[in-house]
Amino acid sequence: MALLQAEDLTLAYDGPSIVDELSLEIPAGEVTIIVGANGCGKSTLLRGLARLLKPAGGKVLLDGEDIHTRGAREVAKMLGLLPQTPTAPDGITVRELIGRGRYPHQGWFKRWSAQDEDAVERAMTLTSTVELAERAVDELSGGQRQRVWIAMALAQETELLLLDEPTTYLDVAHQLEVLDVISELNRSRGTTVVIVLHDLNLAARYADHLVALKHGKIVAAGHPSTVVTEELVKSVFGMPCRVIPDPVAGTPLVLPIGRHRVLRAESVLAANGIHRTRQPDAAIGEDTTSLLTAEELTTREPQIDTITATDTATGATPQSVEPLPVAEDSSLRRAEEISAMLAFSTRVLATEDLSANFKRVTLSGADLSHFGAGAHPLDLRIKLMIPPASAASSTAEPESVLGSDFAALRPGALLNSEDAGGWYKRWLALPTESRGDMRTYTVRALRPAGHRDNLGEHPEIDIDFVLHLQKLDGQLTGGPATVWAATAEVGDAMLVLGPNKALCDETYGGIEFRPGTAKRILLAGDETAAPAICSILESLPAGITGHALIEVPDTGDILGSSTRSGVGVQWLPRGSHPHGEMLAAAVRSIVAIPAAGAVVTGADPEDVDVDEQILWETTTESTQPFYAWLAGEASMIKEMRRYLVRNAGIDRKQVAFMGYWRRGKSEL
Amino acid sequence: MTRAQRGGTKFTALKPAPVPALEPAGAQRSGRTIGVGRVNLLLGVGILLAIALNLLTGRHPIEFSDLLAALGGQRVPGVSFMLWEDRLPQAAVGILAGAAFGASGAIFQRLLRNPLASPDVIGVGYGASAAAVAGMLFFGAQGIGLSLLAFAGALVVALVIYVIADSGKHTGARLILAGIAVAALLQGIIQYLLTRTDVRNASDALRWLTGSLSASTWERAGLLGCALVILLPLLMPAASRLRILELGDDTAAGLGLRVRGTRLGLIILGVALTAVATAVTGPLAFVSFLAGPLALRLCQGRSHLGAAALTGALLVTAATYLAGNVLPETPLPVGVVTGALGAPFLIWVLVRTNKEGT
Ligand SMILES: Cc1cc2nc3c(=O)[nH]c(=O)nc-3n(C[C@H](O)[C@H](O)[C@H](O)COP(=O)(O)OP(=O)(O)OC[C@H]3O[C@@H](n4cnc5c(N)ncnc54)[C@H](O)[C@@H]3O)c2cc1C
Repeated sequence: MALLQAEDLTLAYDGPSIVDELSLEIPAGEVTIIVGANGCGKSTLLRGLARLLKPAGGKVLLDGEDIHTRGAREVAKMLGLLPQTPTAPDGITVRELIGRGRYPHQGWFKRWSAQDEDAVERAMTLTSTVELAERAVDELSGGQRQRVWIAMALAQETELLLLDEPTTYLDVAHQLEVLDVISELNRSRGTTVVIVLHDLNLAARYADHLVALKHGKIVAAGHPSTVVTEELVKSVFGMPCRVIPDPVAGTPLVLPIGRHRVLRAESVLAANGIHRTRQPDAAIGEDTTSLLTAEELTTREPQIDTITATDTATGATPQSVEPLPVAEDSSLRRAEEISAMLAFSTRVLATEDLSANFKRVTLSGADLSHFGAGAHPLDLRIKLMIPPASAASSTAEPESVLGSDFAALRPGALLNSEDAGGWYKRWLALPTESRGDMRTYTVRALRPAGHRDNLGEHPEIDIDFVLHLQKLDGQLTGGPATVWAATAEVGDAMLVLGPNKALCDETYGGIEFRPGTAKRILLAGDETAAPAICSILESLPAGITGHALIEVPDTGDILGSSTRSGVGVQWLPRGSHPHGEMLAAAVRSIVAIPAAGAVVTGADPEDVDVDEQILWETTTESTQPFYAWLAGEASMIKEMRRYLVRNAGIDRKQVAFMGYWRRGKSEL
Repeated sequence: MTRAQRGGTKFTALKPAPVPALEPAGAQRSGRTIGVGRVNLLLGVGILLAIALNLLTGRHPIEFSDLLAALGGQRVPGVSFMLWEDRLPQAAVGILAGAAFGASGAIFQRLLRNPLASPDVIGVGYGASAAAVAGMLFFGAQGIGLSLLAFAGALVVALVIYVIADSGKHTGARLILAGIAVAALLQGIIQYLLTRTDVRNASDALRWLTGSLSASTWERAGLLGCALVILLPLLMPAASRLRILELGDDTAAGLGLRVRGTRLGLIILGVALTAVATAVTGPLAFVSFLAGPLALRLCQGRSHLGAAALTGALLVTAATYLAGNVLPETPLPVGVVTGALGAPFLIWVLVRTNKEGT
């Protein structure tokens, strides 16, 4: 139980209530700071908590007991208060004033004792007022005087200390001096401190627990890093602002946005390569979507989340329960510090025609040193920003073509985390002719800088493109990604969106292969899944058994694959068979009915309309001995799913189904 | 360790270890007490001197040897009676009333944080006077009855002013103006009462109203003494509460003082002191008003209720001497002398406060 708490507390002087049915727990041993605009009731709340004001409703509990059933002196031995403007009697000395803090410990007959003397001495030491002891209080500077008053409250030797605006009328240096003294006393004595403060930045810096008050009600409470957001400042103080990390303390720093200096500031920022793409006072939370919508495919979580460093750092904050793409706290920081997804500027380093239908493109660039998601890529997917056909030259800097959003997402760029989540919507809103297309591909191989197979100095990634092309009137036709790949030449630019090595690990959402504890696996897919299956095979450890089935257009498309595991690989050249027929047959022959090791649930998969959505159903943690991973053309996948789940009775939790593309439909 | 545990153990850990003896700091403290004590001693000596002066060199001087003999219990014709039935009761009443006025004034001045806020300036004294006059004229009230009437009148006025001035928060012009208005009203009432009664009664009341010790008897001194035996010891707790209250209401409340109750208690104490003294001597003008600030000077800026009481006593005894000897022909009522001393001081305070812009 908290030492001090308010329950449905309503406070009023004579008129309407100033604090309204407010409930609050003061965390013991911490510094709680109450902030809010003038007249929000913060000082009234403090007076209520200090027993100075009788509640009009509800109650204040001190150590579990209604504070008003306790005697004034008894309360004063547990709770000290420093009001906003205490008055020092004329000519009183520092020592004498501090000594008055002992009043609650003295009685009618109990006179000044050695204990009182000790308490005063301790209070003076802690507040560094020893050398002021014999001076008159009226002669002191504002900061010194405030320290003396704090010392007086300390001499009271209470477990709780409440201070009302202890920094008013002080210059900046003295404000810090006073707050340092308070936090020092909190740390050294464990005193629970409650401060009412009007300076939000100081509050954010010194508070363990921040309470924001508006119209007598709590708007937000918690650690400053979760509470101080641009939205909150706007709503509580009515002040549009930016919130960036305090370069000194790392706590949130509020930068108010005035009217007239902003344009200037904007141009200064721009000169430093920082681009803000949103109006400063635009409402937060507008862009709550990230790649979630980019992937029509997904029925699960977004594959590339934009999470913020503060979210990960503070752990169990309400905001981080689910990965919200938009940060609660937005700030200008290096993109790689806050965004799990980065934009990597690359160039084609080499191309290789693997077969009639496969072309390997090797991309490279300095940015890729920030690319990755833990150990082996497995079926790690990325987004390729295919430049528009109208692009002046294929070698132009991609970010210059695509706009500032992507420039801000590059490693090393300064990014406002708020902007990190909204780029997709903004990109989508651009006309297709100028924005180009976004396509999903698999990283077939990732080689860090210095790898012996590398052709250049920077890290490299290989992408195997399926070339589904037709020649019409001598013109190559196909999807934009395919056309780009087919015509790609060394030196062409490509912007890749992918995981930020610093913030992503093997739990990264862009990897779907999650066999869990399964020892027997099935990998099945068409040619678009071939790169993924080959990459997975390369990383499977010995001891895993099962089958890999890959249907490809022709015998010439049978690519080499290697694995240490006991998984048998079967390439299925389609020839003139319909797409997916051979694959389906092979899956049936491997997974008998009922499937061995399958958990029979008898569950009927709800009918999925392939034309409505591409099937995408994946699992996170299978504890079953069997695990299947199926990817490729969507209607093919749907057929296989129907067989495995309905006929073979395999638990859906054991199977990942992924429609990689859909016949007759472009990705977007 | 959990937070709760930390909180629990910490509290006891904070309790200071027993300290064998007092350190220099303690000595310093007592050094200051000696300072105030010495002032009080000097004040006491001053009072005795003033009385002795009055007895030995006053209007009807007593030979030193006669004085000693009479004090020793011998019957000295023409001296013993004057000494025991007139001079000594007069001195006793002077000391007691002066102390009561002085302490009462200091309480009000510190409570309201304003040197002008003494009961005689803000009309509390007039409340006592008006009630007392009414009692004397209509009921022939005397003794305890008169004291109680004076107390009631003073209390009513004090509370009225207190309410008008709004709980001591606006102790500046507002309080003084309220007091002056109330005082004027009460003076009017007193005048009216006097015109309505027959001349002989009225002249008695008038003499009482100027404030005089001439009607002092042992009985009256005893009455006053009894009241003060109860009231004066209360100055100790009153002083310790005033010390906290003068830090501001919120600070005081934070230190565990019941602010409203304490303030009301202090007002009642101050009113009682003024009332019992007024009932016996009539309003001795400006004793309340002068004693506090003078004591403050004597104690080098440290306010002390005891010193204020002694200063009040000294003021009255000294004024008694002056009243008896300033004019060769006619002795003056003490109240005229204290009034003459107080008026210039009042003007000075007013000018100064005006300059400070309070
Ligand atoms: C997670 C994931 C990983 C992927 N990895 C790879 C990979 O490593 N290599 C790879 O080549 N593909 C991969 N794909 C598939 C690829 O994204 C799609 O094939 C995509 O549609 C190609 O884009 P496009 O611009 O060429 O054609 P779009 O503009 O998307 O489509 C144009 C037309 O081509 C048809 N079409 C699309 N793909 C094919 C195809 N393969 N065969 C025949 N017709 C097709 C469409 O139905 C449409 O009618 C992956 C997809 C996903 C979701």
